[in-house]
Amino acid sequence: MDIRFRIRRYNPEDEAKARPYWQEYELKEVQPTDRVLELLHRIKWEQDGTLTFRRSCSAGICGSDAMRINGVNRLACKLLIRDVGSSVQVEPILGLPVLKDLVVDMEPFFAHYRRVMPYLVNEEAVPEDGRERLQTPAARSVYDDSTNCILCAACTTACPSFWANGEYYGPAAIVQAHRFLFDDRDRAEEERLAVLGEGDGVWRCRTVFNCTSACPRNIEVTRAIGEVKMAIRKGSPEGVIRPFSHEKH
Amino acid sequence: MTTLVLTLRESLRYRGAIGQWSWLLHRLSGLGVVLFIVLHVVDTSWAVFYPPLYEEAIKTYQSPLFTLGEFALVASVVYHAFNGLRVAFFDYRPQLWRHQGRAAVGVLLLSGLLLTPVFVLMFGHVLDFYNEEAFVLPLEEVIRAQLPFLGGFALAGIAALLLAGLHSLVAGRGSQTALSASSERFWWLYMRISGVLILPLVFGHLGMMHVVQGVFDISAAEHLAVGASEGQVGANATGTAVEFVHDRWSTFIGPLAIWRLYDFALLVLVVIHGFNGLRGVLWDYLHHPLAKRAALYLCLIAALVLLALGGGALVIGIDEAAIDEASRALCEIRQTHGATLEELVELGCEEFGETS
Ligand code: HEM
Ligand code: HEM
Ligand code: FES
Repeated sequence: MDIRFRIRRYNPEDEAKARPYWQEYELKEVQPTDRVLELLHRIKWEQDGTLTFRRSCSAGICGSDAMRINGVNRLACKLLIRDVGSSVQVEPILGLPVLKDLVVDMEPFFAHYRRVMPYLVNEEAVPEDGRERLQTPAARSVYDDSTNCILCAACTTACPSFWANGEYYGPAAIVQAHRFLFDDRDRAEEERLAVLGEGDGVWRCRTVFNCTSACPRNIEVTRAIGEVKMAIRKGSPEGVIRPFSHEKH
Repeated sequence: MTTLVLTLRESLRYRGAIGQWSWLLHRLSGLGVVLFIVLHVVDTSWAVFYPPLYEEAIKTYQSPLFTLGEFALVASVVYHAFNGLRVAFFDYRPQLWRHQGRAAVGVLLLSGLLLTPVFVLMFGHVLDFYNEEAFVLPLEEVIRAQLPFLGGFALAGIAALLLAGLHSLVAGRGSQTALSASSERFWWLYMRISGVLILPLVFGHLGMMHVVQGVFDISAAEHLAVGASEGQVGANATGTAVEFVHDRWSTFIGPLAIWRLYDFALLVLVVIHGFNGLRGVLWDYLHHPLAKRAALYLCLIAALVLLALGGGALVIGIDEAAIDEASRALCEIRQTHGATLEELVELGCEEFGETS
């Protein structure tokens, strides 16, 4: 089948292209099972070498190729053409500075990520056997869902609060905080809760749920944010989540 | 500015699910009601502080422009209320999020379900009014009566900017505007708790003013004010809006002036909820510390002015002299709009008939 692509282009180094504009491409002999990323490759390789986008793994793991496809944030490498139809509109994700075509500056996004201390904090002596800090399956299940995040920014850049104000940490950073906050081996809960409770933290979330539908890994993003809000209200993550309640059915 | 335009445009362009539209409607309806509440509380306070203006205000409420606005207002309050409950519910039960989309549809359906009979009844009041020989203030005058508010908004804006500038000078350059983490938490909670408390109060208030009776009955002569006690105050003898309010505020259950207490609770809860909501919205779109500070002062000034005017009116109350004054003002309004001698006599405005 034939597919028409409409792509948002921008190149600050070329005066003629320094204002964002739309460019159209036609592709023939497309299979319904082709992924949008492959078709972007075909455009770049067969028609227009200047088309610029990020990708690395092509397998939904590295999180490089989040883009707005037909109006919503998706991973180009996970999206089959049969699920988008015969005309495809591609734009960069929103709320981060566009560098060129579909490539955005991810630095503000990662700055928020670093802010929530996305690592395990535990200064206690290592266990006597000198090996790992053990955790029960029940305790692990509590934050299992948020370990799936690949930091593609699809959720954060789907959020109207983030578009309005880039100072908001955004859903991805909060999911990352959730992953450590609810880990019973972590000892930085007070610090983390304090950071998250600031004006640019969780309270900017207006439960729009755009993040949840944008996540290519089906993480229950808005739920995670809600659980962090509950933890801040209670002053502790303890007892906020029932073990195994995140298990997908 | 560019980010504001971009944000607003993309908030419409992004193809989010229903939650995005609920958010947008919730925000717009909230802002609309905030605008109304400013006019409304200031207007209501005239019943005490400057009765002739209250008569004029109620006449503007009875004009077609406001009647249209009234339908939009009632719809906004109803939608915002139900959706507010939905938001608060999923805040407390985040694990049930899978039902939020259905809940959002439910909110729309429930709003429609409630609004249908309410609109029918409201429309009935409108028809009743226009079937009789209705007195309607001309559109230019309705609009002119709102112009002082523009002046008031401008003044409040200038005052907010001045205070923000002063604050920035004292606090030093580059100082940030932010609430402490515990205040943010408090306000988040306040929005939810006050919302739940406002719901029955505002539904009751709108039910009395729009359904049980119409806005037009506020100034209907020989009409018992809704919620007032026949035995304690009797019907509205002068047909002034001021007497209407007086009758309600002078109705007691035991030692309690119930409608005063009711209005007081509504006033405090709604004004603080509305202006903290406005602060949240403004802070979404303003980034410069000075602008954020000005927005904060604006909300603070507006809330304080409304609480002082509305609270003051409720505490001071309405006396006979105010009703007399209103009564004369009403005659004057009718006279300047060409009421015949006969009509004036019927309205109890004999003396005005003689002088003209
Ligand atoms: C009738 C019962 C009401 C309920 C249950 C309710 C509930 C809520 C809730 C839960 C929020 C927070 C939304 C969020 O953080 O996502 C909110 C926001 C807001 N409310 Fe209400 N509310 C009610 C009445 C009102 C009234 C009467 C006004 C106007 C005076 C108002 C104005 C606002 C505004 C301006 C916001 C901010 C909207 C935003 O941030 O997008 N609300 N309301
Ligand atoms: C067009 C629609 C409305 C009409 C005709 C109306 C009518 C009135 C009247 C006649 C009063 C005088 C006091 C009384 O009789 O109890 C009053 C007071 C009040 N109304 Fe409304 N109302 C309307 C909508 C609303 C809404 C939507 C709200 C809240 C969001 C509201 C909040 C209040 C408050 C707080 C007071 C007390 C004001 C004060 O303390 O001076 N009203 N209203
Ligand atoms: S290219 Fe790695 S996630 Fe799509």
